[in-house]
Amino acid sequence: MRSRRREKAVRSLGPSSPGGDGFRLNRREVLAGSIGAGALVALPDMGIGGLSGFRPGKSSQATLRYVFLYGTPGPEPGGSLVATTFPASPAAPPPAPIPVAVNLAAAPVLSPNQAVTALSTVDMVPGGAKITLTLLDATSATVAQQGSVTVPGVPADANVLVTPVFAPGSAIVSLVLAITMPAGKRMVRKADPGSGSLATQWSTTWVSHHALAYFDQRSGAITGPFHLSGEPSLALTTAAANSSDLVLWTTREPQADDPADLRAHATRSRVSVFPLGSGTARLSVSAPSPWPGGEPVITLPSGDVARMVRGRQVQVCSARTGEVTELGIPAFGQVRAKPSAVTMQARSDGTVFMTKPGAGVAVIADPAEEFRTTARIQFPLPATPLGAPWTKAVLSPAGDTCYVLGPATTGGLSAYDVASGKMAGSYSDGSQYAGLYQLPSGALLAVRPENPRLAFFSAGLSPLGTADTNLDVSAVY
Amino acid sequence: MTGYDTAGSIQNTYAAANSEFGTNPNFWIRYFTPSPAADLFNDDALAESQGAWDSGGPYVGCISAPRQSRLSGSAAEGQADAQAFAAAMLAAYHAVGPIQLPANGRLYCWLDQEYSTSLSSNYWNAWASYLANYDFAGLGTFPLYPCLYCNPNAPYPSCSTIAKAHGINAPAAIWSSEPEPCGDLSGPSVWDPQECTTVPTKLWQFGEQGVCNYSANVDLDLGGPGFTTAHYCFYVQSRP
Repeated sequence: MRSRRREKAVRSLGPSSPGGDGFRLNRREVLAGSIGAGALVALPDMGIGGLSGFRPGKSSQATLRYVFLYGTPGPEPGGSLVATTFPASPAAPPPAPIPVAVNLAAAPVLSPNQAVTALSTVDMVPGGAKITLTLLDATSATVAQQGSVTVPGVPADANVLVTPVFAPGSAIVSLVLAITMPAGKRMVRKADPGSGSLATQWSTTWVSHHALAYFDQRSGAITGPFHLSGEPSLALTTAAANSSDLVLWTTREPQADDPADLRAHATRSRVSVFPLGSGTARLSVSAPSPWPGGEPVITLPSGDVARMVRGRQVQVCSARTGEVTELGIPAFGQVRAKPSAVTMQARSDGTVFMTKPGAGVAVIADPAEEFRTTARIQFPLPATPLGAPWTKAVLSPAGDTCYVLGPATTGGLSAYDVASGKMAGSYSDGSQYAGLYQLPSGALLAVRPENPRLAFFSAGLSPLGTADTNLDVSAVY
Repeated sequence: MTGYDTAGSIQNTYAAANSEFGTNPNFWIRYFTPSPAADLFNDDALAESQGAWDSGGPYVGCISAPRQSRLSGSAAEGQADAQAFAAAMLAAYHAVGPIQLPANGRLYCWLDQEYSTSLSSNYWNAWASYLANYDFAGLGTFPLYPCLYCNPNAPYPSCSTIAKAHGINAPAAIWSSEPEPCGDLSGPSVWDPQECTTVPTKLWQFGEQGVCNYSANVDLDLGGPGFTTAHYCFYVQSRP
């Protein structure tokens, strides 16, 4: 194991610091309460205004926003979320991370306007599974809204995968539930991989189906669950919503006894379109491969849905007809031996920012013109182009600068001018960061494996400070 | 015994690889659902199997590389990913007549944990348990064995997570991604992969394309002493 000297947990670099912006961070109290039994760490964003044109002494209060860190704390068994703050001054004691939630049913989801973060938890209760959706307010890091629905008939040993789906332009948050229940149990004999000896064990078979529920942010009410047909299905889905519809990819689970003529069709996914609030699809059609498997997906200004597949193509699904059109992203066309993390982010001007750090490339594309590339940034490959967090390159709020993790050889961060594609700046103290996030204020948050795991930078790549967390951070919201 | 792994399709990769290294691989390891950023073997298992046969290495191992943040997640996420992985392998098995399970009844199924990814116990146990209990093709032989591709010395939970797994949830083998001395298909002169303390390393990715500047879209892998990797892969017994 690598080991490094444990540095001061939180440090604010003042005017005397090399490369410092003279930025002074304001401490805020974070969470009034907690959700669940464990940890969610929220970090306040820093309202530093014009970023590269930042002026010392400017208040950060107006645009303060918390950032939620998702990951695995050392002694905990599953996905967790935690929160911490910055010190009032360099001399102030480091803030303690504040636990918010552990054992989440799935990774959180950030709303399109970044105002709230959705958490889903599942509690087995007598007679069923209680699904709770919690919306965390980003400006206060407190619970903004919460709603629950109980799915009857779900046994205690079932698994329920919950995917919250925000709908741009609508107050409805869809909940896609994948309910996987034991269908049978029997004694089997299986060879031990080490000794080869046969051991007898209980074996469980599982069957999944899906259900929908809808949370209305105006009333706080949940409707549903609406159980969908199609069992047995694979639990994995892809889902996105526009202001009126939920677009959902599902796949029938292939069965051992499928007849030969069914096997070819059985490997096709289906895309179904549900009016928001409804459990009945208004259309359902066969969809081209691949099966849903965690591909980046966004809702386009047209209301259609785009998902990036194979790390190099975009499938645009018409919300009106379900028809899928596949478009190549030329800059992503190169295949490599290893897959790369890929991201896709809708921008307020209607364009889409896409990254493929394993190929050292990020692009801005215009969905109104069949995803024509309007800007392309090429950069050296970072040290961890596939590992978590998947965000390795981000775009400044103005869209004029692309920040990326530094090259594997030097680490640090680099900045590129989007218009020219040329490097505009870089910073490295030798640290290899694994993920990079653009905070709404314009500051940057880089994460790395060992404390201080969190490093903040100005838009000019000047270090602003660091913070510790007990989480191995796998995503930031 | 050395072979290739690749995120590209075998049929579009083998000619360049065999040309660059001057010989045929003994096996391939290919990506299956869920691997959202790779070309998937199960998307066109027939053409992939034809490619494997034509490459001279008609053995195909199976790996899944989910979105890496999921590996820090819940049992529901681990089970869902394993379910899709098993279904993808079954779909490929159904799609290609001459593809066979290993004669020893053990198909190693690798989970891709990259360097900066944390593996939670909830995710791993559910993932491993689902695969180990999967009645593949209704054969009643339960041939799937969960295994882990990882960097054993990474400062993230991986070896420590699987060390807590018991019984069928314990991985059958580790595929180590470090170190990377590079070289060609003759392999490094000494077997020296990184190891977890509780599970033996059976496969070693000793040459990674980006690090070793290979032109072909392959990484190079070596099975450990006494371990014949091909015997834990799908076997394409004739050209489909």
